Amino acid sequence: MKMLSWLLIIILFVPILSGCWNRRELNELAIVAALAIDKTGDNYLVTAQVIDPGQVSTNGGGGGRAPVTTYSEKGKHIFEAVRRMTTITPRKLYFSHLQMLVISEEVAREGMNNTLDFLTRDPEFRKDFYIVVSRELNASQILKNLSPIEKIPAQKMRSSLETSQKAWAPTIAIQMDELISSLTSDGSNPVLTGITIKGEGDDGQTLQNVERIEPFARLKYKNIAVFKKDKLIGWLNEKESKGYNYIKDKVENTVGPIPCEKKGELIIEVIRSKTKVKGKFINGKPTIDIQIRSEANIAEVACQIDLTDPNAIRKIEKKTDKVNINILKTSIARAKKLGVDIYGFGEVIHRTDPKAWKSLKKNWNQEFTHLPITIHSDFKIRRTGTVNQSFLKKE
Amino acid sequence: MSLFRTIKKNAKQKVIESSKKDDSLTKDPLTGIFSEDLQKINKTFEKSSDVVIREFSIGSEEKVKAAIIYTDGLADTTSIQTFILDSLMVEAKQMDNTKENLHSRKILQWVKASLLTVGSVAEISDFDSLFTNILSGNTVIFIDGMKVAIGASTGRWEERAISEPASETVVRGPRESFSENIRKNTALIRRKIKDSNLLCEQKEIGRITKTCVAVMYINGIVNEKVVEEVHTRLDRIDIDGILESGNIEELIQDETFTPFPTIYNTERPDVIAAGLLEGRVAILIDGTPFVLIVPSLFIQNFQVPEDYYQRADISTFLRMLRIVCFLISLLGPSFYIAATTYHQEMLPTPLLVSLAAQREGVPFPAFVEALIMEITFEILREAGIRMPRAVGQTVSIVGALVLGQAAVEAGIVSASMVIVVSITAISNFVFPAYNMAISIRMLRFGMMMLAASFGLYGITIGLLALLLHLNSLRSFGIPYMAPFSPFIKDDIKDTIFRFPLKFLGTRPRLISQKNSKRNHTPATSKPEPRE
Repeated sequence: MKMLSWLLIIILFVPILSGCWNRRELNELAIVAALAIDKTGDNYLVTAQVIDPGQVSTNGGGGGRAPVTTYSEKGKHIFEAVRRMTTITPRKLYFSHLQMLVISEEVAREGMNNTLDFLTRDPEFRKDFYIVVSRELNASQILKNLSPIEKIPAQKMRSSLETSQKAWAPTIAIQMDELISSLTSDGSNPVLTGITIKGEGDDGQTLQNVERIEPFARLKYKNIAVFKKDKLIGWLNEKESKGYNYIKDKVENTVGPIPCEKKGELIIEVIRSKTKVKGKFINGKPTIDIQIRSEANIAEVACQIDLTDPNAIRKIEKKTDKVNINILKTSIARAKKLGVDIYGFGEVIHRTDPKAWKSLKKNWNQEFTHLPITIHSDFKIRRTGTVNQSFLKKE
Repeated sequence: MSLFRTIKKNAKQKVIESSKKDDSLTKDPLTGIFSEDLQKINKTFEKSSDVVIREFSIGSEEKVKAAIIYTDGLADTTSIQTFILDSLMVEAKQMDNTKENLHSRKILQWVKASLLTVGSVAEISDFDSLFTNILSGNTVIFIDGMKVAIGASTGRWEERAISEPASETVVRGPRESFSENIRKNTALIRRKIKDSNLLCEQKEIGRITKTCVAVMYINGIVNEKVVEEVHTRLDRIDIDGILESGNIEELIQDETFTPFPTIYNTERPDVIAAGLLEGRVAILIDGTPFVLIVPSLFIQNFQVPEDYYQRADISTFLRMLRIVCFLISLLGPSFYIAATTYHQEMLPTPLLVSLAAQREGVPFPAFVEALIMEITFEILREAGIRMPRAVGQTVSIVGALVLGQAAVEAGIVSASMVIVVSITAISNFVFPAYNMAISIRMLRFGMMMLAASFGLYGITIGLLALLLHLNSLRSFGIPYMAPFSPFIKDDIKDTIFRFPLKFLGTRPRLISQKNSKRNHTPATSKPEPRE
């Protein structure tokens, strides 16, 4: 009886106690979808893309407002700028659902360590947002671009990055935790995909941008930025980017042209690809051996070839190997020229021989520039599509 | 607190006083003097117009004064006419009735043995049982000079026919349910179990109502200790009236302050029969179709008779569904509150945006919103049960308004809350055991408060507390959470899963320890391959 009355008292207190903790109602949140970091003079300029839920949801009626809005504020440090934003935002910014972080090229070239610390330390940030570098533009401009189909631009950036990595390969989706791990590792350096605007930058801000069939301005991923630790030092072009993804075993699906025997080209679609990177010590010197196994379908034929002939297929396979090795070699050559190991070869060497690594790691990037690398490619053509012979053959 | 105690004390004293008064009235033997006894009966029933006293005489030469007393409406007048009055007044004249025959005790034997043509007769020697006999539909026959009266069973009154169970319906399975008549109810069970070991012990409970209570079990399967315990607990009851099995349930249950029912009730004879076969004890109470069965376990509330009539895979699926529904019905709104007010990072972004859009313009915090909707629904549900049938439609129309689009459009609640409350409500109806469903309804509010104050942490604490409490419960000595704790491997086969019958070879171990093998069917029923 006594216990019961105590229990009753405790239960009575519960509703009074509510709200003393970190309780927030959904309509008290300003959900930040994307964050951009620029530099103006000595200060950082932080821009947040905040979702206007009423405009995004399907039953919201769509009152002619933009689905997102941006808030910018300056500050010597990121957190300072973020908190200063409350002077202009109606609600407190909520970062757990952050999708994209855009860093301007300027900030990236100066080094991103200072900016990243806050993003990893603050408990509200999850570590699963993607990071990209804005190219030739301010990062804040990237956030001020409305996109059709996906109402939230950050959502568009996210899914576009994911699909292009999966189906096209020369972009790479790097999340916060991956970036941090490659930043802290001795044997590798980070890379990030670049983003830019195709079209007139400022025209993307208004709703008219999405009312047109062809928007004035569109976001577009372009190339991969190479970092030396936290500082951006150069860009890989499309081919080199693809090579990078092949070595990192991130290619799921891609498309590539293969020259035919006579004139013209043949397009293959890679459907499966597996890369193994092995380290070896030859005469005490580290070497890397890359082994690629890929399967592909013939997607497009723009030359005269008899696809019913097994020998012809074998020839294509051989050529594809050559093309592939060439892609990888160009990529590695570029990285060597920039003088940074972005492929994580150092980590491979570390795993192969931890003792030798101790002496190697101090000067690894130097070591990398003359690291012997052998590439083996094993390509298999699986299917030729729904037609055997191209009608071009009958010419 | 102290006020509460004094009230309780007063109540106790009153009970003792009144019981003393009652005792002084009864235990009065019959005097044997016809006029005196009859006068006393007359006086008792002076103001009870439905009790009929008919005086007449037996015999042709030597006449003996006699009387029959019965309650009009409870006793069957046709059978009194043909089997009692006819035999005593007409046939007795034609038979040999010498002086010796009419003398002393012999006449009683004579009447009992050769004149009364009714099924069961009993001798009555005191006024107490005489009155009970009269008031339960029997006809009492008084003969001059006898200190003993004869009670002949002529009870028969208008009653409901056996109908389909109203609260536990099945698609496949017997469609009969218990009725208000205890005789009919015992017969329904007997019809399913034709074994002489099925015992039916009867007793009377309730000083004023004198309700007939029957304890049924199968000797040789049941655990005698449980039977003994049932008897002691039933005998301990000293109350003026028992009107429904709920009264008995409350007086004999192990734990009063618990939201969980530790005694199972059902109106289906097949459920009782299955329980008896598992070694449980059934308690039938006259005047109600709800029969109690003990010991009862927590998992029993998730099982319906149909589970055993359908294929095992279907039953297993449905049982799992019921457990999911249990969780939804207990935690639905609280999980919504916790996720939307504390753990927004847990929600997928598109969902969060959509929920946030719905909450734009809702003036209340999620907890208050949920509370409003839940209470509205409880009001609707209660109204649905209590209101007169004739106005039934009104409630459903109004209900659809307050719990639907209109509430959302009015800006009082968000659309997602309506969905959460609705799915919670529907999940609650899945429960075969109605009283368990009500408990969960109540617990839900506690969970909502915990979720509103501490988020998922609060829900975890609440669930832990519930689990601890459940584990502390016992039903007639059997742990309530068996066979999960204590863990009994063989009995798990018939809990969340329902294994095919050929694997369910043994009775629940904690309930009946002996004669535990119940299925001797050979493992395979496939024919031998032909030569």
